[in-house]
Amino acid sequence: MYVKRMRAGGVLAVGALLSLATTVVVAQGISIGHLADFSGPTADVGGPYGQGVADAIAYINKQGGVAGRKLEHETVDYSYQVPRAISTYKNWSGRVVAIQGWGTADTEALVGFVTKDKIPYFSASYAATLTDPAGGSKADKATPYNFFYGPSYSDAARGLVQWAADDWKRKGGQGKPKYVHMGANHPYPNSPKAAAEEYARELGFEVLPPIQFALTPGDYTAQCLTLRQSGAQYAYLGNTAGSNISILKACQTVGVQVQFLGNVWGMDENAMKAAGSAANNVVYPVRTSAIWTGKAPGMALMREISKMSDPSGTAYRASHYLAAVCATLYMKEAMEWAAANGGVTGENIRKGMYARQNWTPKGTEGVCKPSTWTAQDHRSLLQLDLYRAEVKDAPDAPIAELVAKGTIQMTRIATIDLPRKKEWLGW
Amino acid sequence: MASTIALRPCGDFKTSYGSDQIVFPTRLSLAFCIFGIVALCFAPLVLGKYGLSLLVQIGYLGIAALGLNILVGFTGQISIGHAVFFGFGAFASAYFSNKLNVPVFFAIPLAGLATTAVGLVFGIPAARLKGLYLAIATLAAQFILQDFFARAGWFTGGVAGTAAKSFSIFGHDVAGDYQYFYVVLVYVVLMYLAATNLMRTRDGRSLVAVRDHYLSAEMMGINLMKYRTMSFGLAAFYAGIGGALYAHYLGFVSVEGFDILFSIQFLAMIIIGGLGSIMGTLMGTTFMVLLPEVMGGLAKMLSGSAIDRMLSLSEGIVFLREMTIGAVIVLFLVFEPDGLAHRWRQIRAYWKLYPFSH
Amino acid sequence: MTMDWTLLFQLLVSGLIVGALYGVVAMCFVLVYKASQVVNFAQGEFMLIGAWACWWLLLKFQLPFFAAFLTTLAFMMAFGLILQVVVLKPLIGEPVISVIMVTIGLSIFFQALMKWLFGVSAQPFPPIFAQPSMNVLGLQVKTVYAMSTLISIGIMISFAWFFKFSRMGLAMRATAFNQQVAQSLGISVRQVFALSWGISAMVSALAGVVVGVVNGVSPALSFFGIKVFPAVILGGLDSIVGAVVGGLVIGVLENLAHYADSQLLRWGNLYEIAPFYVLILILMIRPYGLFGTRDIERV
Repeated sequence: MYVKRMRAGGVLAVGALLSLATTVVVAQGISIGHLADFSGPTADVGGPYGQGVADAIAYINKQGGVAGRKLEHETVDYSYQVPRAISTYKNWSGRVVAIQGWGTADTEALVGFVTKDKIPYFSASYAATLTDPAGGSKADKATPYNFFYGPSYSDAARGLVQWAADDWKRKGGQGKPKYVHMGANHPYPNSPKAAAEEYARELGFEVLPPIQFALTPGDYTAQCLTLRQSGAQYAYLGNTAGSNISILKACQTVGVQVQFLGNVWGMDENAMKAAGSAANNVVYPVRTSAIWTGKAPGMALMREISKMSDPSGTAYRASHYLAAVCATLYMKEAMEWAAANGGVTGENIRKGMYARQNWTPKGTEGVCKPSTWTAQDHRSLLQLDLYRAEVKDAPDAPIAELVAKGTIQMTRIATIDLPRKKEWLGW
Repeated sequence: MASTIALRPCGDFKTSYGSDQIVFPTRLSLAFCIFGIVALCFAPLVLGKYGLSLLVQIGYLGIAALGLNILVGFTGQISIGHAVFFGFGAFASAYFSNKLNVPVFFAIPLAGLATTAVGLVFGIPAARLKGLYLAIATLAAQFILQDFFARAGWFTGGVAGTAAKSFSIFGHDVAGDYQYFYVVLVYVVLMYLAATNLMRTRDGRSLVAVRDHYLSAEMMGINLMKYRTMSFGLAAFYAGIGGALYAHYLGFVSVEGFDILFSIQFLAMIIIGGLGSIMGTLMGTTFMVLLPEVMGGLAKMLSGSAIDRMLSLSEGIVFLREMTIGAVIVLFLVFEPDGLAHRWRQIRAYWKLYPFSH
Repeated sequence: MTMDWTLLFQLLVSGLIVGALYGVVAMCFVLVYKASQVVNFAQGEFMLIGAWACWWLLLKFQLPFFAAFLTTLAFMMAFGLILQVVVLKPLIGEPVISVIMVTIGLSIFFQALMKWLFGVSAQPFPPIFAQPSMNVLGLQVKTVYAMSTLISIGIMISFAWFFKFSRMGLAMRATAFNQQVAQSLGISVRQVFALSWGISAMVSALAGVVVGVVNGVSPALSFFGIKVFPAVILGGLDSIVGAVVGGLVIGVLENLAHYADSQLLRWGNLYEIAPFYVLILILMIRPYGLFGTRDIERV
């Protein structure tokens, strides 16, 4: 009897201790999640972008955080595996108020979840299907909680097609120019395909059947031979930099004369270095008003933020890094608005994104382009800068050196302003 | 009387077939099993969200791994394409519940049956191959089916994947991991009991005979084609059920999750656990699910220290995880080819017979 | 339906060139299988390790290409020897599934190790030849591919000579035929096993370096190892000649499939998946391949 009472008392004590231990300590910080790809198929561009987000968050915390509260973030490298992203999200839901995400496949997978849980999701996927907050357009689903900084893939592709049409006229081309979409059978390259092909037809191109090549580096001689045989003048490369390098090299060897059009993630300084002269003459869009070597008032802040992970200040940051910092700073200013208007919750952050028009975060003038989000239209940016890459083959050297020597040159050739057409929303 | 509930007799004194085929040879082992299940019922109260998600993972992966063990461990076949059967079950269940509006409660067993059909289709030609050729054929099947998933937009949503509804019983929506855990627990108990029972029926013994010496089995009148095909079908059924549970747990099914590495992880689960052992399957699955988490935990503990800087752990943790999976497979096969189940039996025998050696 | 003959011809030539490389890797696979009855699922990773090693030597130590190349070959020979002695010897006599799983485990381990050491992005090789491409039968091919075809043919000839006329080659064939009889004749089976793995690793590294020079080194290089399976099944698991023929056929088949796909079918990725359909077909009809020995019992 005595033993039983002792045992009961012991159980009660243990239970009390456990419940004390699991009492949630009220968190003073703001919890956000960060999904990145540092090791998967898109790691070549995911690395710089993820670094940009992490540095921006570290800088925000160094300056005191948002409304006096630090941003507590957890960076998860999900290797572009959708199931891993979803289980990470499940771990986070109920805890985080916003997420800095990454890829197309998982962003689209998580749309339903973030809408239900009311968590703003800032993706690095610029798929047009994420731009319709109210639903009803060709996007087929409402995405009120998905935000991204940059022109959508479809809009960027349309911009490139428009430039191609102008370029054909400028060169005095006769007859119908031929356009072909090249990419993997994957949500990311597929995203702008239909929209770009439709716009190309509208502008008088003859649209050829698309050519497929995988998202991984490989030997694409066969695809290049087909490309050459097809006689296309303008080819849109839909994959990320890694596989674009392979196909550019293969096509250079085979001797294909084509104007290659890159996408936002498909051509950057690292790709130019790796592809060498094969990347010469590629035209690609840039989301920010300046690249790392540009002169703009906002670059001072960018260099400050870059010092968070590179105290020496000598690292060369690719264009993706700058876009990532912009995206994070937009989130921060929306949070500041929310803190002043009812508390930092997912819903208020979303309202905070709608609070300003033609808005650049403080300190980034000349780098982040003015963007506007509204409750009916999440196409924040309809302007893109087009650059031409001029690259020579050279011995291996750090990118900063190659750019300084002129081996890698990026020249801005056009700024395209797209009309905000209602029928273009969502696709 | 009390002393015999935990002891086995020293010799075979069974007097009926029933007592020979009993699943739990001593009353204590039955008690442990029941106690384990009851303890698991209380798990959601004690564990957090994270621990619960691990248990659910062990559940549905364990069911699929058991199917593979029936195929590989009990029938002696080889399959390097188990992940696509798992994936087929997931897509089928999502398809049934989304497009055909079958309630999820029924969609899961139906998905299992659909996957069985696919498994039989692959099993019939595969039953004619042996050893290495079977392995290569299943490897090819893995790539072909994965390509099919990516292309068949009407069934899988193509490369974009498809959303799966959440589980519901008679209108009551089983929302959240907390309640889904019980669904998975019920399925695990049922499927494992079914497998244990299978192994003591005539069919189960035929499967083992096919594995041990197929020529003699054929001479005794066991139809090799029938049992090899049946074994493929069974493996596919278990994989389909596991996949369906996975689909409704995650809420989204996408094709890139079912790659060759996933198939290899299933093989690793049963090899580490012990080929031909049902309890071993669960042990192997637990090991494989907990291994990446332990590595992640270790990396977090070491982050910031000198080892971290030297090995650049924080960037390389994903690679270290994969390296550990590969290394664990190799080490287990070199040092413990019979798996954890065998090691467990050795440990138990050591304690039982102490101080005598085994 | 107009056939585009020039394109078809160019694809054929390209297929033969790539097929020669497949043939080389397939030969290594068959070598290991013939000598030690082990199926090496890690063949692609041998290529990858060789490519990365050569790249690292070229970049870190600025060696001339041939010096780095020879060092890589020596390293891979040692690597293959050590691997066999440490990991695979304990597995002699174990069932097929165990051996397969060990090589699969090794392939996962090495692939992750390479990713950890060298990263995931494709790294280009420093330029090696003064003239990057040359004209072969009307098709511009990279000089290194032409070199690799010559090297492949050289290797095939030397393998043929090795197995027919050299002492060690005969010893390997004897061991493959019947281990016990070979041992009773005084052949050191241990040495034969170890050497076969060493040679296999070395030659795979050669192929890996070639592919690396053309496409840059990246983790995707090891996918070559998976493409080897259709080639060896087609040719016959235990026939070196079969491996070569199989490799060539698969190389041509891929490009033909791409041709059919882009001109007629428009499915998209027939290029990648066609070899596996062929693999299944062959396993159904003639599992021992074109040149293999007929000892597969079928139910």
